[in-house]
Amino acid sequence: MLDYELLKRLCTADGISGSEDEVRDIIIKEISPFADTVDVDNMGNVIVFKKGRKTPSKKLLVSAHMDEVGFIVTHINSDGTVRFAPVGGVNDSAAFAKYVKIGAKKIHGVVNAKPVHLLKDDERKKCPPIDSLSIDIGSDSKEETQKHVSLGDMIVFDSPYENRDGRVISKAIDDRFGCLVLIEMIKSELEYDMYFSFVVQEEVGLRGAKAAAFTVAPDCAVVVEATTASDVPFAEDEKRVCLVGGGAVISFMDRSTIYDREYYRLAFECAEALGVKAQTKTMIAGGNDAGAIHCSRGGVRTLAVSVPCRYIHSSSSLASAEDMEAVFAVVKASAEKILSL
Amino acid sequence: MKDILKQLCADAGVSGNENEMLGVIKELLPENAEVISMDNGNMIVSMGDKNAEKHIMLDAHIDRIGLIVTYIDDKGFLCAEPVGGIDLRTLPGSAVKIFGRETILGVVCTMPPHLDSDKELSRDRIRIDTGLPAEKVRELVSLGDRIILLSKYTELIGNRIAVSALDNRSGCAVLIRCMQLLKNRDIPCRVSFVFSAQEETNESGAATAAFELMPDEAVVIDVGFAAQNGVPEEKSGKLGCGGIISISPVLSRDVTEKLRKIAKRLGMEVDYEVCGGSTGTNADKISVCGGGIKTGVISIPSKNMHTQTEIVQLDDIERIAKLLAVYITEGGADNA
Repeated sequence: MLDYELLKRLCTADGISGSEDEVRDIIIKEISPFADTVDVDNMGNVIVFKKGRKTPSKKLLVSAHMDEVGFIVTHINSDGTVRFAPVGGVNDSAAFAKYVKIGAKKIHGVVNAKPVHLLKDDERKKCPPIDSLSIDIGSDSKEETQKHVSLGDMIVFDSPYENRDGRVISKAIDDRFGCLVLIEMIKSELEYDMYFSFVVQEEVGLRGAKAAAFTVAPDCAVVVEATTASDVPFAEDEKRVCLVGGGAVISFMDRSTIYDREYYRLAFECAEALGVKAQTKTMIAGGNDAGAIHCSRGGVRTLAVSVPCRYIHSSSSLASAEDMEAVFAVVKASAEKILSL
Repeated sequence: MKDILKQLCADAGVSGNENEMLGVIKELLPENAEVISMDNGNMIVSMGDKNAEKHIMLDAHIDRIGLIVTYIDDKGFLCAEPVGGIDLRTLPGSAVKIFGRETILGVVCTMPPHLDSDKELSRDRIRIDTGLPAEKVRELVSLGDRIILLSKYTELIGNRIAVSALDNRSGCAVLIRCMQLLKNRDIPCRVSFVFSAQEETNESGAATAAFELMPDEAVVIDVGFAAQNGVPEEKSGKLGCGGIISISPVLSRDVTEKLRKIAKRLGMEVDYEVCGGSTGTNADKISVCGGGIKTGVISIPSKNMHTQTEIVQLDDIERIAKLLAVYITEGGADNA
């Protein structure tokens, strides 16, 4: 079974794109005793090599991203409230009336909301856009707020983690879950030598992965992710994309990548051989670091395996532990299978 | 004060389930306060001289807004409807607590951007996801169970607190604090402190309590709009202003005037809110109870009302409690 205590520590660590420090520290501490080399590059990517029983003819990279979506302080208003912009794709409703922590000092704040009593009818039916919202830290003046908050400070959700009866509710399952899978692989005995990258800045344009893939120069890659599941009431058929409880999600195509056909089939075969559930995405939606990795240097044959996740990019995303176990099993088996070819 | 408020801002006590809160309140009462009834979700606590000519009621509602489970679908998703004036904008993707046989964490269903075709928020489409198997959900959740939006008791700077249900647990904190201040004082009148039920649904708890007590005067303590972006200046008082005294045709001029006078005498700053008619508080029902009860309203300024991120300043609670303690020791309004 995966280490869910570690998943909790990873998910509750704070790190929007460009501020992944806390997450990186946890990861380096966890993997150092088990890895052969651990390097941090100029962008903050953690690049790891681990020897297996055999040295394969190909170089394989397994990658997950450390950053989570959140916000960044853009301005301090004269009334002491804080203006902010999203970092990564965050819905208006995900920000509205939420608890947040700001900056390295983790100043507590809440996203303000004009009371419903004072709204016009049409205003009641829609969340206001993020650029009209502000965060309250309890201060009434710009001067007071400036003592606690600086422009460019990271803002993260202050929300609970709960693992109960095989389902996890937390922020940042995307992609601390992927980090967990890589850590577990590094801690395990590997059949073949492998490279691993814990990358930065996925949510703002697959930026860390671009550099990591260049540095490692792999022949093939497996990206481990969390992906949108919208199997909720009022969503029908293919629009549900993938199902929580439906097993590991193996993609044939998304908005950033057309995946290697052979690897796609291979991953399903691995799932079948292992007796774990697997599914594909029923819409060409979303994207991940595969988009940067598969066209790195002269091209990298790439596979993506994801855990289905509802309410992704919000303070309370929801995923199933059974699916997480399936992703880990499929990723490990697929990576070894690819290297055996 | 902080401790009192923290205990009062417990998750329990969505309208109709106020009894869950009565134990918390009992623990906070001074020894010489006597609980005289706990009927229909109301808790009535008595202090002062029971045989005095004058009988004053201080009211704060104890219930909080929330949701109620109306149906469980075949996949285990819960259908829910608002209890009280829930702000629909606060729901999508928010974490909730469901008070079933066990307390369960859930999330209000929302569509990802690729499906979010500009649908209007609607109270008929509220669905809750526990992520648990349907059989497990049926085992733990029953129709009628209450749900609240998850919040987190958070200390902000400026002696301010953010948490849900400050409407009106901060009013309840005023009552508790007022009782503490009166503990060793001579009280020339009979005082009934009412922690009233179901304000958020239809102000029925205060109406029935007032009928039972038929006091000479009543002061309602509730939250009022604090100044914030988008809130008109004339409808609000600043956080830390010391309280908002309401002036309205439906309220007693005598009570309102006495509250003003005390504030002035004590050198307390207060703000005023003038309403053209109903106040939107329990005062609307209390004032026309029986043959009519002279009623006033004083409010704790609060930001983000009816969301999970309400904010109040502790000083306001303390100052209103002091003002009311003086009001009581002076025997209430001066008879005009």
